[in-house]
Amino acid sequence: MISVLSTNITSPLGFTTEENYQAVLSGASALKRHKGWGLPEPFAASLFSEEQKDELAIEGYTFFEALAIRSIRKALTYTSLGNDFSRIVLILSTTKGNIEALGEELYYPSKAAQRIAEAVGLTTNPIVVCNACVSGLSAQLLADRLLSANLYDYAIVVGAEVQSKFIVSGFQALKAVSEEPCRPFDIERNGLNPGEGAATIIFARTSDKEGWCLMDGATCNDAFHIISPSPQGEGLTAAINTVMEGQDKSRLATVCVHGTATLYNDQMESKAIEQANLSDIPLSALKGYYGHTMGAAGVLETILTMRATDDGLVLPSKGFTEPGISGKVSISGEPQPTDKTAFLKIMSGFGGCNVAALFEKTTDNRQQTTGKTTLIKAHTIRISSDDGQTLTDIYKQQIGNYPKFYKMDILSRLAFVATELLKKVSPRGDLEGASPVILFNHSSSVVADRVYFDTIRDAENFFPSPSVFVYTLPNITTGEVAIRHHLCGETSFYILPKKDETLIQQILEATLSCSKARSVISGWIDAESDTSFECDLSMYNIIS
Amino acid sequence: MEQLIKDLKLQIKNALNLEELPLEEFDENAPLFGDEGIGLDSIDILEIIVLLEKEYGIRLANPKEGKAIFQSVKTIAEYVQANRKK
Repeated sequence: MISVLSTNITSPLGFTTEENYQAVLSGASALKRHKGWGLPEPFAASLFSEEQKDELAIEGYTFFEALAIRSIRKALTYTSLGNDFSRIVLILSTTKGNIEALGEELYYPSKAAQRIAEAVGLTTNPIVVCNACVSGLSAQLLADRLLSANLYDYAIVVGAEVQSKFIVSGFQALKAVSEEPCRPFDIERNGLNPGEGAATIIFARTSDKEGWCLMDGATCNDAFHIISPSPQGEGLTAAINTVMEGQDKSRLATVCVHGTATLYNDQMESKAIEQANLSDIPLSALKGYYGHTMGAAGVLETILTMRATDDGLVLPSKGFTEPGISGKVSISGEPQPTDKTAFLKIMSGFGGCNVAALFEKTTDNRQQTTGKTTLIKAHTIRISSDDGQTLTDIYKQQIGNYPKFYKMDILSRLAFVATELLKKVSPRGDLEGASPVILFNHSSSVVADRVYFDTIRDAENFFPSPSVFVYTLPNITTGEVAIRHHLCGETSFYILPKKDETLIQQILEATLSCSKARSVISGWIDAESDTSFECDLSMYNIIS
Repeated sequence: MEQLIKDLKLQIKNALNLEELPLEEFDENAPLFGDEGIGLDSIDILEIIVLLEKEYGIRLANPKEGKAIFQSVKTIAEYVQANRKK
């Protein structure tokens, strides 16, 4: 459990949490139909105006970085974090970060995170969470773990996303974008709207004031498909049930859903909500105000829900009029009063990951340090192009018979091959259904990003490839491993400036101290090509 | 028609990276989806939609229209022959 000290939302609807909340209360939305960036199809999106961009720009920084820096600085004006900078960590949540800088050093998400951290005066190594749509909640869960393990006193969690031709063309290729403002959970819904913005929550390990706390969270993989949610929503149901175990659901003011307004997501969420016995809790779906702000969404929607609950309100689900889902849920396009002071935030995303987190306003936020978990490396597989074999050769000679190998990008191929080899050297029983898969690297999905960019570079030959775009999210690698081995526990992907063994061990131990799993697959995975790759993957056993 | 089926098999094999499916075993009547046949999935459908636009100038906005078209290479070939723009 950790305490919320301060927040900020910087979006096309306003540059503070309060401006955003008031705009949403008045029913405002920044969703507009756009036709631009050389895209043949129109799309509705929530984008900053040129005037807003000028106002937010900071010389020497990309717009993405400036947005995150502005948001953090605003959040910092409301609080003091003391002088011990070694005890403050920055966690950046984004899906595509500085994608517009592809080909330059600035592209690398850990580079952006370092520049943002330095700009706001931090000295510790930042961590980038890249878990597709759920990143914003994953980042908060990571903050909870690192602070609860007493590794830091404060965590600055910032989620940020800037929209671009790269992202929008990809979602259009997946036929997931609506030309009209999106309609979460509605019978007429026909896709998501890309959105941009930044949102910051500053968390403290302990606080002596009454306030919002992140009480608990859980992540579960569907192990079903890399982009389609499991129709029965088993993963999301499991995540909700894990968090709500022993909790009184009548304390919940609302369940703030993901509600992307794609056919499959909202349908799946409705099933999971019914299965978790939350059909009578009012839902709030907030994408009708901001679109899908991707890496920012989990942070932004959490902040807005805290603010509305403070005000005794469940926010209207803008765009919703008539239910178009089969699971039994309570959702409304009108505001509803509430006197409760807790809520559940849920998200689901590509790579099959589902996250649920419980927030509550409480005075009982005394410091709680989780028990120390010790990880024993049971088996390790190191494969590297330095050994002279191509990745495809290793696959053909030692694995084979998995045609999907050839459909994967290089990073997923590497994760797949390494996990197969790891399984060969592990005795039976080490790997269980709940075993988390937690991978780290430096270069994100740079190879897939380049391959995808080649399909949209030329206006005369503009054929964005959906199957390549999918792999431009590095956490798809964890999804591939989960699907192959039927792993339904946590899957996470983190990007670090370098292979920092100490930090990796700390993140793993902090993560596993909150888990019931007995083993975990984790390691470092970086690939440039079939002839240039490095993977150091281990199976750990957990001793609590 | 025979040439079109041959072309489509090669184009689909390349676009979908069906590395372990030899062309001579690629049956134009085999169902493309489900466990019985070639075993393609929803992303593959989207990729075939791109292929049809790129190679034959056919724009298929709604993937749902595709259900009948994408049953097998044979049904795709029939659709392409009737609707191709290049």
